[in-house]
Amino acid sequence: MRYMMLIYWKEMDRETIPAEERRRVLEAHLAVMDEAVKRGVLVGANPLERTSTATTVREQNGKILSTDGPFAETREQLAGYYMMDCADLDEAIAWASRIPAHYRGGEGCIEIRPLREMPAVPDSFRKSNAALSSIFK
Amino acid sequence: MRYMMLIYTKNSDPSLMSPVEAQVIREGHVAVIEESRREGILVAVNPLARTSTAMTVRVENGKTLATDGPFAETREQLAGYYVLECNDLQEAIAWAARIPTSCGGSRGCIEIRELQAIPGVPESHLGSAPLDESRAGVPRSESSKAERVA
Repeated sequence: MRYMMLIYWKEMDRETIPAEERRRVLEAHLAVMDEAVKRGVLVGANPLERTSTATTVREQNGKILSTDGPFAETREQLAGYYMMDCADLDEAIAWASRIPAHYRGGEGCIEIRPLREMPAVPDSFRKSNAALSSIFK
Repeated sequence: MRYMMLIYTKNSDPSLMSPVEAQVIREGHVAVIEESRREGILVAVNPLARTSTAMTVRVENGKTLATDGPFAETREQLAGYYVLECNDLQEAIAWAARIPTSCGGSRGCIEIRELQAIPGVPESHLGSAPLDESRAGVPRSESSKAERVA
């Protein structure tokens, strides 16, 4: 089962975090990634730019409204994600507990979400779009 | 530039959706997937299972605390995502506007977040779940070149 692990942490000013603390967190991420690659469970991982660069797009009365900022103000902010192929939720929790979710003195957590397999598409579509059949299993 | 598009929608019961509505949403996604793929900009796409299956993990004083549910209660809930390679935010907004967000009659929204490049992390660790063989991660210029040759 593939799981998405969403990293939520308190965004802090980069300048206020000591360089060695940033390095420690980066190295901890690299250690998780390296081991996950070695065990063949890592599907993907990526940090996101800060929420000050976020844009939210909504449609209202047929008009597209785009506003600056994330869709909701939350105590912690989405900072990146991992995607892992785990045997079960227990394994996913074990991996999640190793992913750094905060700098020293900060707070954070990992939200684990199972990925849903793509719903089936009609055969007619599948035939005309062979390239897509791999995602619509 | 890679952008993650997070789909936030009302977590309504899928059984409350009419087959016609479900079909319209599915076709909307298929159209976006098909076209972004043709343009060589689709990096990843996947729906998530409902938030009732979510689990939140915190490590405090060396202890792991796992609780049921998403990390925050929000008006709309994260239901899936796309990762698209766009030239700029304007292009990302144009794509986001085409991604279906409605579910059970109420419209949701798309949050666009730029992916961050981290020097020192091998590309094999990032890449966000390539869809399959060919296109994933291929720069737009190369993929369109390949298309012309084909």
